[in-house]
Amino acid sequence: MTDIKQDPSVTVLDSALITLSFPCSAEYVSIARLTILGIAGRMSFSYDDVEDIRLAVGEACSQAVERAMLKPGRALSNRGVGTIAIECHIAPPELIIDVVDDVPVLDSLDDLVNDDFDEDVDRPGLGALLMEILVDSVEVNSGSTGTRVRLIKLAGTPEPG
Amino acid sequence: MNLTIEKRSPSTDTIVLDLTGEIDVYTSIALKQEITQVISDGAKYIVAEMSKVEYLDSTGLGLLIGALKRLRENQGSLVIVSPNVRIVRVFEITGLYKIFNIYESLAEAAEKENLKL
Repeated sequence: MTDIKQDPSVTVLDSALITLSFPCSAEYVSIARLTILGIAGRMSFSYDDVEDIRLAVGEACSQAVERAMLKPGRALSNRGVGTIAIECHIAPPELIIDVVDDVPVLDSLDDLVNDDFDEDVDRPGLGALLMEILVDSVEVNSGSTGTRVRLIKLAGTPEPG
Repeated sequence: MNLTIEKRSPSTDTIVLDLTGEIDVYTSIALKQEITQVISDGAKYIVAEMSKVEYLDSTGLGLLIGALKRLRENQGSLVIVSPNVRIVRVFEITGLYKIFNIYESLAEAAEKENLKL
């Protein structure tokens, strides 16, 4: 960790890799968001940028949790299976965040039982839209062993309209 | 942080949900249960007071969209009241501010929606 001289009240992180691993369950997603808040808050991001990063990471984690909660033939439950690993590559002015889960992508959602009033709302689509808007780059790679979402945010980039 | 839901019924078909905390993949389950219950109990209008909501993700948005759609099918509505700037921003960047009626205060919501709050 290195102090920069522009603002002595702020400690800015130098290049580093920080990892966090937790069960792929809904109750842990807020912990991931808090961790990201702490990391991004110590880089040269504006307050709005930090909040954007927090929301984008929350979306990536939520999508993993929702996939883990989906079980063909039964309704959504609160507890999923699997693990989420978050790798934060601090590389000023970039923050590169990989959200990696080991939840296989279902081939078909046809067997899902979900008669809730929001059943036909495209929540994954909404989450993907948010991530695209909130960070500078999003890459998603999914497969039979899980999904890796790479989010990149550059410090000092203009606010999205 | 969790989500606290306080409910009051200022008239027979209107429910005010006073929400405090974070609406995410974890807490939205409880909120969904509450909204499902008030709709099945006959509410036509749901007023979501969100001044103390600090976080809203796509799970919460999806829930609100679903509830709005269900209520509109019964000539009702769901309105958002007093969201902070971060929450407003989520509605704006997703374009959802176009489908939700968002008000700065309960008084404004009452006047514009012709509701007794």
